[in-house]
Amino acid sequence: MGQPRKRVSKESRSGRAPLRFGDDPLLWASWLYYQEGLTQGEIADELGISRPTVNSYLADARAKGIVNISISEARLRAVTIAQALEAQFGLESCLVVPGEGGPRPLIDRLGAAAAQSLGSHLHSGDTVAITWGRTMLALAEAVSGTEARDLVVVQATGGTTATIPYTPEACATRLAENTGARFVPISAPAIVSSSEAREILLREPVIAEQLAQLDRVTCVLFGISSMRPDATIHTSGFFDSALKNKGYFDNAVGAMMGRFIDAQGAAIPSPLDDRVMGMELDRLRQVPRRILVAGGLDKVPPILAALRGGFVSTLITDATTGEGILRAEGFEPEKIAPKRRAPTPSEPALTRSDHVKKFINRPKDAVDEALTGALAAFPEHIEPIGGSLRAIRARADKRDGKVGVVIGGGAGHEPGFIGFVGRGLADAVVVGNVFASPPPDRILSCTRDADQGAGVLYIYGNYTGDVMNFDMAADMAAAEGIEARTILTTDDIASAGADERAARRGTAGNIFVFKVAGAAAARMLPLDECERLARKANAACYTIGAALEPSSMPDTGRRSFSLGPDDMEFGVGVHGEPGVSRIPLQSADRIVDRIVDRIFDEMRPGEGGKLAVLVNSLGGTPMMELFILNRRLMQRLSARSVDVHTTLLGHYFTSLDMVGASITLMALDEELAGLLDDPCNGFAWMKQGR
Amino acid sequence: MSEIDSTYLMAFFRLAGERLEEQRQTLCSLDGEIGDGDHGTSMANGFAAINARLRDLSAEPAPPARLLREAASAFIGEVGATVGPLYATGLLQGAAMLEEGPLDARQLGDLLAAFARGIAMRGKAGIGDKTMLDAWLPASHAAQRVAAEGGSPAEIARAAAEAAEAGAAATTSLIASRGRAARLKERSIGHPDPGAVSASLIIGAFAESREELD
Repeated sequence: MGQPRKRVSKESRSGRAPLRFGDDPLLWASWLYYQEGLTQGEIADELGISRPTVNSYLADARAKGIVNISISEARLRAVTIAQALEAQFGLESCLVVPGEGGPRPLIDRLGAAAAQSLGSHLHSGDTVAITWGRTMLALAEAVSGTEARDLVVVQATGGTTATIPYTPEACATRLAENTGARFVPISAPAIVSSSEAREILLREPVIAEQLAQLDRVTCVLFGISSMRPDATIHTSGFFDSALKNKGYFDNAVGAMMGRFIDAQGAAIPSPLDDRVMGMELDRLRQVPRRILVAGGLDKVPPILAALRGGFVSTLITDATTGEGILRAEGFEPEKIAPKRRAPTPSEPALTRSDHVKKFINRPKDAVDEALTGALAAFPEHIEPIGGSLRAIRARADKRDGKVGVVIGGGAGHEPGFIGFVGRGLADAVVVGNVFASPPPDRILSCTRDADQGAGVLYIYGNYTGDVMNFDMAADMAAAEGIEARTILTTDDIASAGADERAARRGTAGNIFVFKVAGAAAARMLPLDECERLARKANAACYTIGAALEPSSMPDTGRRSFSLGPDDMEFGVGVHGEPGVSRIPLQSADRIVDRIVDRIFDEMRPGEGGKLAVLVNSLGGTPMMELFILNRRLMQRLSARSVDVHTTLLGHYFTSLDMVGASITLMALDEELAGLLDDPCNGFAWMKQGR
Repeated sequence: MSEIDSTYLMAFFRLAGERLEEQRQTLCSLDGEIGDGDHGTSMANGFAAINARLRDLSAEPAPPARLLREAASAFIGEVGATVGPLYATGLLQGAAMLEEGPLDARQLGDLLAAFARGIAMRGKAGIGDKTMLDAWLPASHAAQRVAAEGGSPAEIARAAAEAAEAGAAATTSLIASRGRAARLKERSIGHPDPGAVSASLIIGAFAESREELD
């Protein structure tokens, strides 16, 4: 590329290309941009056209092949191999160092590449485990600082013989120094002489505390050793040649962290297992970020085994090794070509396709991360069942013979579902993906947990997917002798006519049904009675929602439907879908009137009747506006001379970030009012006894 | 010989997974118009889960029926949702057909019919309800017809793919009567059913992987 020259030539400004460009403005613009190094703005001046036009000239020039951008063959090859490895082994990421590396030894190049990419793998607060070996030491030495704070670096295993420079201590110490992390050693040998010795060491509080750090590891950096005679494993003291002679390791293709694996990545059991002080292979698989750094053709079999065994989420290797792995997996080299995307049909025209900003990390982690945060925020209310984030129980004493109440559905309704678990509410909640039903196995584990021998009530919104999954779970529960009965909430009166109530969907009103059923179960009423009361509560609830702006899914980050500036949706549900009708935007009072008129038509509350009221935000509407809605609602209710027994107002059952609100009115008799007054203790609904 | 065996099914799942991944956003956008906007996510994640499970299995070659059963369990375990039970039931019906071993490639239509039977059983829907069955049923019928006329395996698979695509396109003019889109009543007209569109991508992968293997 030529030196950029600041100039405005005499031949410009006419907008006509100098003769040498053959009257082709695309070629002219491309020449100035790529060859002379002018900016697009300067070219615009030169050609006497606008900057956006320059931009489109340059794009056209590429599309027409006037400009060809080529990537160095070796680098392209590396990227292509990385892409194929990612696809073949389901890796989160793969970095392949190009084959041409100059005179530097492979291990140094791998270490440097891994060190450089560490920034994207390390996050503040991480506990990082590192193993040992030449590559690990090269990595640790090549790291120079990180933006991540509050790091802890821990040895993945105990120590090895000091006759090698790349011991576990050396690798971990160096990494800790170069990242400014706190260093946690494992003050014991990696291999002890007997399992008894290990037991004794495990009882030492200092060592136990150090090893406990391994349970907190969020990122592990590890190398892998081949079994070839010159491999480091033989000189480390990890290997017991007496055992080797007994044939224990005949099927081993590699070793990591002092554990041996076969060609499929399965652990090879040996008497050594009870003598290793360090991270176990099963534990390694559970670490969220598992970065294997290894290269060299002798390492193809062990790397392949580690990939097959699911030990790796990120692989850092070199082009030759990467190609070897693909060949070993049955790829033909000529088939390893850059993957081109299939042409995508143009997206449906959305009038509002702009990206919605969100506080998220990776979209696919959104639900799990939200649940982790919720569990951490409300440990006195909720806890996971058997370590699952998606099956959660109330933190309450279990009582023999109490009817279990299991609720659930998709995520995206927060505090919906999980906030209504607790004493006097539901016993367990099942959470699916955003707006998607949870699968049957998870529902079943909640069912088992909630069952105290008196049967279980399933209460959830009336949606096709939820019904199918909960019904499958109910069948599975019945096979285990647990009776599970289903209450479908159907409070959304906009969703179907009064003559087909059973077809209506469940929305915000279902929290009243959870409350009544939870209170009935807490009073130790039998299953029949709990079911009757829950059905009665559902029949008493009338909800209508209205939306001013659609919601946006974490996965797409885009508004899920389009809504004009002067339009609103009437009769929306809680899944971001459009409402039953689109109407011109109206004032708060007129919207309340429209909702209340429609509810009164069907509910016909008599004078002196008693109501529970829920003014609910669909996610994006602030409390201030809910108060404005409630003001008008109260005017309408007092004009009707009905008595408001309970008012709930706020975010109770949302539809992600939908700007909108719903109003639920629940007709109360003494029985329902009494159940609503019972104490309850969910994080979204806490009530002291009267 | 052309068979519906484990090799073919593995290739099929891999291709279907790729196609769904490519169309993830498009399917979400289609779903946003008449549903809740997660269909692309469910399908792409579900097939990724299937492929991950099958990859774990690939150590020893699994018989085709086991492959479909594992696919069913991986899919429903990953997505739940509406499509979870529907596809899981479809795949299990398909597995029942393969219990005796691989099928002749000319029986593709019968396998598709088994999938469709499972989906219809679980979802209690039929043709014209603006659901994925509007792709699955025509595809199975077309494949069975071309097989009866003596078509080659490739012709049979292509007929299924074309019928599925036509069926999916035809859902644009239908009114939804099942699932969340049914709440929209006549407002659902004018948008293709995302479930039928994803089904046509999946059925297309049956044809595409047949061509790849032949």
